[in-house]
Formats: sequence, structure tokens, C-alpha cells
Amino acid sequence: MSDLKLRVKDMIIQRLKLEGMTPDQIEDGAPLFGEGLGLDSIDALELVLAIEQTFNVKIEDEASGMKAFRNVDSLTAFIAEKQPA
Amino acid sequence: MTDITDHLPHRYPFLLVDRILLREPGVRVVAEKLVSFSDPLLQGHFPGRPLVPGVLMVEMLAQAAAFLEAEPLVGKSIFMAQIQDARFKAPAGPGDRLELEVKPDATFGKLKRVAGTVRCEGREICTARIVLSMGEAAS
Repeated sequence: MSDLKLRVKDMIIQRLKLEGMTPDQIEDGAPLFGEGLGLDSIDALELVLAIEQTFNVKIEDEASGMKAFRNVDSLTAFIAEKQPA
Repeated sequence: MTDITDHLPHRYPFLLVDRILLREPGVRVVAEKLVSFSDPLLQGHFPGRPLVPGVLMVEMLAQAAAFLEAEPLVGKSIFMAQIQDARFKAPAGPGDRLELEVKPDATFGKLKRVAGTVRCEGREICTARIVLSMGEAAS
């Protein structure tokens, strides 16, 4: 698992208080919302804040957010692309 | 001056904002709630010892937050989605002039989170972050 992907998973677990869950248990390609991890729109708001605070990456609008939030792979790619060098 | 009942759909006995002191939509709102012995919500909380319930202070902040929206919310669907880190530091009762300050702190889609503080005579008595959905057309 890449270092960034591990940090993304750690952030999800910590900020969304997914107690007892480990990064290994979050599948890279499994949907974060609905089926899969089962997150909801309130979790999405929390993730927007977490990503900004942890990675200094802003999610400008709902459309780009929902695209990034598809799964861990898409979120990691989104952060890697937008993260300040 | 903002007309409260033009903007908020809440009505007696659940309208908990008396006056808007400062309003910059999207930036900051400071409102006021005056607590009185004749307040119907205090009659049972508690008989002979009236205290503003803590959850009502959170509701006051949520109602004040409605004034962060530029457009009136009468006829719109509004609801509270989450309350985070609510702290009740001191009681409030009849005679207290409660200052309600709210500032937006995050937005995603329909949801907006605000940071709110209730003060009485300059002292913080309640702080909370509240996630609200505001402004969607009622279905």
C-alpha cells in the first residue's frame, strides 16, 4: 500500500471514528458511500474538512468531491494531483 | 433591520430568536434571545426553578444560523443533521439576555456546518458546532 493511500485510510478511520477498523480492512476500490463503507452525506462534509486540514487540498464543489469520494483509489489520486508540491 | 418572521418559518412557542444585531450573510450573524419568566418553554423546566434547557440553546444557535442564508427560509426545507462538541458551561434563566453568534465553518452540497457561541453578559455559556441543511425547496 502506498504511503499516501495509508494516510488517506488513516484519516478516514480517525475522522469518521470508524472504531476498531484498520487500514487493511478498507478495500481500495470499494465504494465509500452507500454500499461498501456505508458513509453518508454528513461524513462527506467531515471528509472535506479532514482533507483540507490533513493534506492542504481544497474540494471546491460537490461534483468534484463526489468524484473523488468514489473510493480510496480515486480519493488518493485526487489528493496526489492537487497536493501542493 | 431583518424581519425575523419573514425569514424564519418557526413560530410561537418555538421561535427562539428575538432580534438580529448583526447580519453578514455567509460570514457572521449575531442575534439575541431574551429569556423571561413567562417563556412557555420554562414552565416545566423546572417548576419554581426556571432554567433554559441546554438543547434549546443549541436550537437558538441553529435558528440564528438561518440568518447566514441570504434568502428567506419560509417555505423551504430546513433541518439539523448533526450536533458536534456541544458544551454547556453555565446556566441561563429569566432576565438573561443571550447573545447568539454563528459563523459558517464548512459547506459540502446541501450541508453547512456552523460554529456557534451563546454568551450572557460577555461570558460564554454554550458552544457547539451544528450541521444544517437549509434552503432546499420543501417537498
